[in-house]
Amino acid sequence: MLKMKTKPLFIIGCAVTVTMFLVAGCRSNSASTDKSLQPNVAKVDSNNPTLLKINNQIFSIPSPIQTALLIKKSGYPYNKEMLNSSDNYSKYDTKYKKALNLGIYGADLGYISLYDQTQDALSYLASIEKLATDVGVSDMFNATLVKRFQQNMGKEDSLLSMVSEAFRRSDAYFKDNKQNDISSLVLVGGWIESLYFAVQANNSQKVNAKDVVTRIAEQKISLQNLVKMLQPYNDRPEYAKLSKDLASLADVFDNVEFVYNYIPPTVDVKNKVTSINSTSNVQISPELLKQITDKIVALRNQIAG
Amino acid sequence: MKKIAILFALFFGLMLTAGSATAQCDSIASACAKRNIDPSFISDGQQYRALLVNSDETAEFHVTFYGGTLYRLAACSGMTDGNLIFTIYDSQHNQLFTNSQYQNAPYWDFSVKNTVDCIINAQLNPTTNSGSGCAVVLIGFKQQ
Repeated sequence: MLKMKTKPLFIIGCAVTVTMFLVAGCRSNSASTDKSLQPNVAKVDSNNPTLLKINNQIFSIPSPIQTALLIKKSGYPYNKEMLNSSDNYSKYDTKYKKALNLGIYGADLGYISLYDQTQDALSYLASIEKLATDVGVSDMFNATLVKRFQQNMGKEDSLLSMVSEAFRRSDAYFKDNKQNDISSLVLVGGWIESLYFAVQANNSQKVNAKDVVTRIAEQKISLQNLVKMLQPYNDRPEYAKLSKDLASLADVFDNVEFVYNYIPPTVDVKNKVTSINSTSNVQISPELLKQITDKIVALRNQIAG
Repeated sequence: MKKIAILFALFFGLMLTAGSATAQCDSIASACAKRNIDPSFISDGQQYRALLVNSDETAEFHVTFYGGTLYRLAACSGMTDGNLIFTIYDSQHNQLFTNSQYQNAPYWDFSVKNTVDCIINAQLNPTTNSGSGCAVVLIGFKQQ
């Protein structure tokens, strides 16, 4: 009798185990990535002992459009030569290369949109559409988007919103379909291109270089996040090579000094705005800047071909 | 034989549940963006999400906020507001903000003077979530 009663319990126990397995498995890949970085054990936050954390870390990479905005604001004129040629799309023959260059073209399109270059925008959008189709996100860059883009030419904010929203929806698609590796490559491509913009702008000496140099130096943490983001895929040779290149760049960035000073924030409750008043200052020597520039130019050109 | 059939049924049932949880994350993110991200903010092009098993578990989002920028953060779980508690810490673990002080507001703006690296902790609201849920964080920005 006792044995009969334990059978349903056994089945329920199995079901619970399977449920836990599946729930853990369907977490965002970014979260699962860090299992390789840290031991898979629960840990208690020292500032909040009741808070249980289970390796649920997700890394954000700032939008490449933010650096493009800074470059334009700094007085850098439109420079098509700096972009990855829109004709290059046909050279990318693997999903890995297509995803990386989808990120690069996305940053390029953001940059072009800021300078209201209609014809260039349409040719980059066409190349993006081709790569997007090949990596499975054709719906996000379809004819409707191209039409809306054409209708909004000259409206900088609308164009940037459209590009960013299409990339956000692509990111969602990759995550829904357990292709976080592809999502990471698109982010890496966009990040590399935005840093490439910044070093090129700085080299041109036509801009308010101080803000651009600061932006370059501020990439230290984002780069560390990218390296962590790629870590779960390093068993594949091309990802391992990319991670190695980024880690080598991160070694150089380690010499950037970042001084942070906490100042309590102030809150405007009525308007739901908190002002983050803390100050930060980055120190980067000309020699270090040169090393970063050389490495990022080499890496970007190697990826863009 | 019957037991094996039951186990298989449970397994595939749970597979479907897990799949729908992933799809649910996307629905939550779309609804969250519509409700809480004003069109004047440009998306950062990413969708941050994590499936939390219970309200004790925390998702940790590592974010860099650039100086001279106004950010909007929207945080959702489920199709109604107030289900996700989010707290922002700086790199020295000073608390910069928590929506729990403002009725678990689903969105908040941050005017950032100098670039800061932050960690956003997100937890399900224990009073509205008895089980697991998908935590979604969206970030929009505009120049100041």
